[in-house]
Amino acid sequence: MTATATARPRVSTTTKLLLMLVAGAAVAVAVGVYGNEHTPTAQGPYRLFFSGTIQLKVWFATTALVLAGVQLLLAARLYDRIKIPRQAPAWLGDAHRLVGTAAFAITLPVAYSCLWALGFQSTSTRVLLHGIFGCVFYGAFVVKVLGVRVRGLPGWVLPIAGGLVFAMLVGLFVTSSVWFFTSSSAPRPLF
Amino acid sequence: MFAKIVNAVELLTAVGVVVVIVFLFANEPGSAGAGGPGAQIFQANCASCHGANGEGGIGPKLAGGAVVSDFPYEQNQIAFVAKGRGSMPAFGGSLSATQLRQVVEYTRTGLGR
Repeated sequence: MTATATARPRVSTTTKLLLMLVAGAAVAVAVGVYGNEHTPTAQGPYRLFFSGTIQLKVWFATTALVLAGVQLLLAARLYDRIKIPRQAPAWLGDAHRLVGTAAFAITLPVAYSCLWALGFQSTSTRVLLHGIFGCVFYGAFVVKVLGVRVRGLPGWVLPIAGGLVFAMLVGLFVTSSVWFFTSSSAPRPLF
Repeated sequence: MFAKIVNAVELLTAVGVVVVIVFLFANEPGSAGAGGPGAQIFQANCASCHGANGEGGIGPKLAGGAVVSDFPYEQNQIAFVAKGRGSMPAFGGSLSATQLRQVVEYTRTGLGR
């Protein structure tokens, strides 16, 4: 009697990476297609305690960037790139996840307003870049999340994917919040 | 314990993603078509200056997305129509808040983009 092993076929690292990239690209393209095909409503869907929707979006995006910066510092400690605190606490990994999740969550109402009210536009370089950064941000985020879940990936995958997510968030911040804070043609008040 | 909280937050965020996607496809604006109240208010109050189809006249062009370019946010346009400025009369005294919203919605979505 022979034992038959029913081992699962091994998926190569290259295949895993390709599938992750395809998934991320699909999300980025889907966001762009929705923004392009959907008829913008040009309405402010919500504003909470702010004077308008654009103020809410600007401050939510700023908060997301601050949280992402904190997450970057936590990642740097996880990878021993910084030594503060000297003894990494056991909860550091969970804190990294929590801060990253919060940063992502706070982008959701911003993205909803952008897509639903304004859509994908190319009326200026800033607006076009903002739309592209937004699409790539969500695609890169999918790659990052898959990179956390999929086992057996090279060690450089997560830092690269996380770095791309952070870079896109910086791009989104520069093309929206920085413009809002510095441009004389931006709507007022600040809050 | 902390890990469980993080898991719960991640789960809530995933639910939030689903809600956003559902709302993107389900939350379409109400009709602001030619026969609606916004169109009637427009013809009675705005067409004499902005043209019957918002093509412009004494007042600037509104159709073809022009008004959306000038006022990316609806609430700013509503405030402008209510208060007026320069040669633009103030309609806040003659139109109700609902009528202002209806006519503004019509200029943004009913005049074509």
